[in-house]
Amino acid sequence: MSACKPASPSSSPSGKPRVVLVMKSLANEFFQTMAEGAKKHQAAHVGDYELIVNGIKNETDLAEQVGLVDQMVSQGVQAIVIAPADSKALVTVLKRAKEAGVLVINIDNKLDADTLKQAGLSIPFVGPDNRAGAKAVGEVLAKKLKAGDEVAIIEGVTTAFNGQQRKAGFEDAMNASGMKIVASQSGQWEMEKANGVAAGILAANPNVKALLCANDNMALGAAAAVQAAGKAGQVQIIGFDNIVALKPLLADGRVLATCDQHGDQLAVFGIEAALKILKDKATPADQQTPVDVVVK
Amino acid sequence: MRRWTDFLILIAVLAAMIVLFGLMRDSFLSMGTLGTVANRIPALALVATGMTLVMVTGGIDLSVGSLLGFCGAVTGVLMADLHWGLATAVLASVVVGAVIGSTTGAVSVKLRLPSFIVSLGMLEIARGLAFLTTNSQTKYIGADIEALGAPFGGLVISPAFVISLLVVAAGQVILSQMAIGRHLIAIGANREAALVSGLSVDRPRIFAHALLGALTGLAAVFNCSRLGSADPNAGTGFELGAIAAVVVGGTSLMGGRGSVVKSFMGVLIIATLEAGLIQVGATEPVKRVVTGLVIVAAVLADTWRRK
Repeated sequence: MSACKPASPSSSPSGKPRVVLVMKSLANEFFQTMAEGAKKHQAAHVGDYELIVNGIKNETDLAEQVGLVDQMVSQGVQAIVIAPADSKALVTVLKRAKEAGVLVINIDNKLDADTLKQAGLSIPFVGPDNRAGAKAVGEVLAKKLKAGDEVAIIEGVTTAFNGQQRKAGFEDAMNASGMKIVASQSGQWEMEKANGVAAGILAANPNVKALLCANDNMALGAAAAVQAAGKAGQVQIIGFDNIVALKPLLADGRVLATCDQHGDQLAVFGIEAALKILKDKATPADQQTPVDVVVK
Repeated sequence: MRRWTDFLILIAVLAAMIVLFGLMRDSFLSMGTLGTVANRIPALALVATGMTLVMVTGGIDLSVGSLLGFCGAVTGVLMADLHWGLATAVLASVVVGAVIGSTTGAVSVKLRLPSFIVSLGMLEIARGLAFLTTNSQTKYIGADIEALGAPFGGLVISPAFVISLLVVAAGQVILSQMAIGRHLIAIGANREAALVSGLSVDRPRIFAHALLGALTGLAAVFNCSRLGSADPNAGTGFELGAIAAVVVGGTSLMGGRGSVVKSFMGVLIIATLEAGLIQVGATEPVKRVVTGLVIVAAVLADTWRRK
């Protein structure tokens, strides 16, 4: 799993900070893209730092991620950039890491503010504002609809913070433009589940004019449901993530828009923040990374 | 006689659910719902058919969900990246499914390991292969595969639905009319007795696993056709739905008793329950609790009747 490059002769091996990237599942396209981006960045900055990339097998395996953090601390790394598998359960082990003198940067899934406060801990979050991104995509959709139109939301895993934020962003945009949200159900981030949920929503609410999906995989499932219901062209769909498989649907209009949070750069932003803090001895602060609406 | 009362009870449960959901939501009793349910049934029906044959022998296969993901991944890569035609891709998916299924069966039978454990291992392996095959990316296939899952001739049913009904019928014939089927039931009822009476107990069991694998391969194609894409995460937890459908249909987890047609009734019950819960707007926790209760209640009812 290690992506360390042999130190180049001109730089002193001991002088380079060791940064570890702790991810969720590397089998997930999104996290894999993130890790690839980080490896490329390191390859371009070989002299600046060493990178170790670690992931867990499955998104919900908290114990494995906690174990990983402990191991990395005992190896004496200088900084941990982590996408926590859970926004509360990782706080304790990250506190141990900080007490051992390791700089911790939070990316992707934001750690719960209350839990951090209770633990007396401050960990900077470097990442996109999912709520703002979802709101921006929702606003593109609102322009295609009339006030009072019925819409439905297909949520991610209900316990995931980014899923909750995206739902809230969709709601912000729909409420601001006077749309009526008639249903909001979880598609568990999965295409197949979202397909079933979308089909049910369309059957139960024949007047639904749009399906707002919290990720692109679910948007693909929803698009298939719209087609199966014989409503192609009558129901707008929006997604989130801008995955490759969505491109044909964006091109022919089956999906109106999605949101690109620059997945390949998310880990890099975190690593750059860590390196800057290590170098300047600066006080860590939250940092927002860009989110862009993608149409066609 | 007993066969018919069992069947009537399953129909009564299904009818009660339809009436209940119909009362809760007007739109439930519509062609739209029928289409939705009919659309979701084929993959589950195929796997439940194969699973019934494995479970009557007292075996189980937990890897079918991952295998659905892997065979779908193979279909996706072949069609989206390598531009294979539908027919050859279907064949490849079925063959891959059959190879994995017979591997699970052969390892379990020949090395005398519980199929629960071997298939648990295969669950991990097949999921890993699904991620490897697709490089963890969703593959968009599009129109080339969608026709299979789309309604035809102005009806609400798709070619996939018709094929799955034929497979259910064939599965029932295999189980109740053919020597191999009676053989499978005999193995499940009493393996020692089957052995003493000179029946081969290994080959029929491997055959059942291979058939389940092949049907899972076909189910994977149907799944892709419904979605127009292949998702390497597809089928997570799918094995539980298939096993639930078989158990609701009255097949014993201990083996020796089962019916493919009744498993299909179990599929209808599970699919209707799922569609109904979505339409009445049940939240995720409610959906899970209700689904769990229905499964346990169905099995309890079955056990009580047999006492």
